[in-house]
Amino acid sequence: MSPREPQANAVLGWGRKQAVVRIRYSLAVTVTALALAGAVAACSGTTAKIGAGSAVKGQPVRGGTVTVAEPSGASPNDVFPLSPSTNSNGYNINLTMGEWPSLVYVGDGATSVVNPQESLYSSLTWSDDDSVITIVLKPWTWSDGVPITARDFTFVYNLLKANYNDWEYYTPGLFPADVTRVVTPNSHTVVIDLNRSYNPAFYTDDVLYYVPLLPQHAWDKTSPTGKVGNYDETTAGATAVWNFLQKQGSDMATFATSPLWQVVDGPWKLAQFQSDGYYAWVPNNNYSGPDKPVLSKVIFTPFTTDDAEMDTLRSGTSLTVAPLPLNDVGQTGALEHEGYAVVSVPTAGVAEIVPNLYNPVNGPLLRQLYVRQALEYLINRQQIVSDAFHGYADPGNGPVPITYGQQWASPLEKAGGPYSYAPTKAVALLTAHGWKVAPNGTDTCQRPGTGASDCGAGVAAGEKLQFQLLYSSGSAYIDQMNAAIQTSEAQAGIQIVLKAEPFNTLVATTGTCNAQSHPNSTCSWQLQQFGWQPYSLDPSGAGLFNTDAIDNYGGYSSPEMNQLIDETEYGSNPSGFYAYEDYAAEQLPWLWLPNPSYVYVYKGNLAGFVPASPFDFTLNPEVWYYVKPAS
Amino acid sequence: MTWYLIRRVGQSIAVVIGVMILTFILLHMEPGSVARSVLGLKATPARVAIFDSLYGLNKPLYQQFLIYVKQLFQGNLGVSYQLQQPVSTLIAERLPRDAILLGLSTLLALVIGVPTGIYQALRHNRLADDLLAGTWFTLYSAPDFMEALLLIALLCVQLHILPPAFPGGITSVAGLFANWPALILPVVVLSINSVAGFSQYVRSTALQTLAEDHIRVARAKGLSERLVLTRHVLRNSLLPVITILGLALPDIVAGAVIVESIFNFPGMGLLFWQSALAHDFPVMLGGTLIIGVATVLGNLAADVAYRVVDPRIRYGGA
Repeated sequence: MSPREPQANAVLGWGRKQAVVRIRYSLAVTVTALALAGAVAACSGTTAKIGAGSAVKGQPVRGGTVTVAEPSGASPNDVFPLSPSTNSNGYNINLTMGEWPSLVYVGDGATSVVNPQESLYSSLTWSDDDSVITIVLKPWTWSDGVPITARDFTFVYNLLKANYNDWEYYTPGLFPADVTRVVTPNSHTVVIDLNRSYNPAFYTDDVLYYVPLLPQHAWDKTSPTGKVGNYDETTAGATAVWNFLQKQGSDMATFATSPLWQVVDGPWKLAQFQSDGYYAWVPNNNYSGPDKPVLSKVIFTPFTTDDAEMDTLRSGTSLTVAPLPLNDVGQTGALEHEGYAVVSVPTAGVAEIVPNLYNPVNGPLLRQLYVRQALEYLINRQQIVSDAFHGYADPGNGPVPITYGQQWASPLEKAGGPYSYAPTKAVALLTAHGWKVAPNGTDTCQRPGTGASDCGAGVAAGEKLQFQLLYSSGSAYIDQMNAAIQTSEAQAGIQIVLKAEPFNTLVATTGTCNAQSHPNSTCSWQLQQFGWQPYSLDPSGAGLFNTDAIDNYGGYSSPEMNQLIDETEYGSNPSGFYAYEDYAAEQLPWLWLPNPSYVYVYKGNLAGFVPASPFDFTLNPEVWYYVKPAS
Repeated sequence: MTWYLIRRVGQSIAVVIGVMILTFILLHMEPGSVARSVLGLKATPARVAIFDSLYGLNKPLYQQFLIYVKQLFQGNLGVSYQLQQPVSTLIAERLPRDAILLGLSTLLALVIGVPTGIYQALRHNRLADDLLAGTWFTLYSAPDFMEALLLIALLCVQLHILPPAFPGGITSVAGLFANWPALILPVVVLSINSVAGFSQYVRSTALQTLAEDHIRVARAKGLSERLVLTRHVLRNSLLPVITILGLALPDIVAGAVIVESIFNFPGMGLLFWQSALAHDFPVMLGGTLIIGVATVLGNLAADVAYRVVDPRIRYGGA
């Protein structure tokens, strides 16, 4: 309660003492502030350089509990591994991955690759024409001792085939819509016929990665008390099972108690779940995989804000593992003093500013490649990495991060990308295209027209080079990055107006815009920067830059880009990926930005936490264990 | 009194219905698509259609309102778009915890503020009065979050005396008390401002009461100072406190978003704040409804309490 209203009446009693009392108040305020500020100053930490972490040495200890902090807003709310399309909570996979891992496990130490040892298949082979996959499953068992078989795969397939439009991870045209037939020649072999040839690496890394196996013998039912059958073998039955499992999967009160969710094939079982997102895993004692859990319990505990988490870390309480917000990287020295080690892990994704090529006002400007090139030349990405992100970010040289998957990054990207920071090149480009450049002012078009040295189609004489950049509020380092962009763009007379709003407000009021559809109601945005786009293992441009792709918000369209992306998705030419990557880097369907890494702290006596890849980072506590200090 | 109460209850129901209609209309006037807000950037037209159909957002506004009202009469506040949980469940989990947190802070503020106010009135314009008033106004003028952060820095980070935040997974009142050390700082921070309010109100009223004839008469009759204070001064000085307490009821229901954020206390305030950011209409509507009910109940309770504390007060000619 905060009864501020009565203050006006209360102060009526001051009378003639008011002036004297004011001085006393000032003194009191000053003394209090000095005392408390001293306390705060004493608390401030120092920055230490963060690396990829180093192996913890000592004698392993069996058992123990690890408590992992969930960052603000990262609480899961659905336990069924095939979340519905109406639930966009990306953190559900954190809850389910340890219990029902994907058929294809990604991450091997710090390396971002498929890990066959941890995967559920013993072999995954493609036909010569890359249109038939034969998967042989390992002789592993469910937690109740029942063998994992091909029937478990067909159960998943049948459920998805009947309900894929309601599956969160369905990508139009891909699994299961592209499957023509599934046969199971024996209990551990699945043969999948696809409706076309695919690039095996793409399909394995980006499609099968999202497919778990589910226990048909326990989940093929339509009510809590109903018997298990083969309901999934008809479309109506599969829909009934789907609806039942979806309903059960969203009932948070029974996540940890429902017998359904106790049948797992991953290393962990859910022992506790609270509606605020707190949950605890205990080992699945029948786990068949190579890395049996050593810890006796892993707790994931939610935090309302980053500050609450930082205070908890600094107070020396029981958190074992926690994400460190970039705003708090300066606290690493103090955290190390509290017994924590610090590690940074690259983010599997690309950060971007999306230009709206069909904005009614300046879409024609943004459709000019030279304008996008000038904008990119003026983004000082190295400075942003060092200043805004304290050095912990991918430089954002193009569509593929160079920090998480060296195998995917082309020589051009590794060399800094096609548009390293160069204000003089930006000025030259604009001048060459008929603009009067006004550094720290606003450029104006002087030569309208469509010639090689004109401003370009749809750009009128006198038109100004100014854009509004919409971005998601709430992060100081993002504010800092965008302020830096605004300043550096101004050097060549490109005026950027910054506007920050909450993420949900931005996505509610902006839409995908393209040549066919760009209504004023949702396409008035000019430049938007909502965060970053996550990648599966294979950082393909499919879904991002092909015409009318699901995440092609700004309406970029190029037949050549489409063809190059198709080659990475369907072709078999290994050099096709670099061709796509370099073309995208140069064409700038999006403006490339640095992408901050994850920074985590973990107790100094917790081994196995590093090395870790961006794909299994914090999701694989089965390889963690405590150590006794070496004597 | 009976008629007065009947009339007030009738007015209260009308106010709550008005608040509900106004909130419903205002929320639906918000620009942008709810489905896109909840589903995020991957909200394809197909997904938006499924979402809108699932939550009835594809129906005309008046139909949506009628459905909402019908659900209300069935005791159903709807389902949170963002959290995918029944709103009644979300509120039922958080409200008791907020009631404890804010109830304890109010109690602490009363225990400190009322006696202090009386004491200040007795020491009117002396050093003790000035010092106490100075202290209260210094604390009152500092924002909650600053007090909270400074106390955390000092007591939790530096001295490791108290936990700086609630551990996760506390979803019951019993869990709250089991982690009582984590309650101390949020209760103290929330009570700081209230102490100033209570003490200064009580001081002001007590000063007026002390100057009244019946106090002189009581003293002249030889009544002990303790009895004068407890029977006459304190009782009369509590009237403004009752007003504040009545107004505090909706605050308890609405939660304390800043303190909840800082101390990792997922209560009503955070729930409403996050639902507002996420365009989560059912939660916002449910919350507004509950706060509206609490507001009218608080006022009603204050009116009744006036009569109990001071029998001279009459309502509606009763």
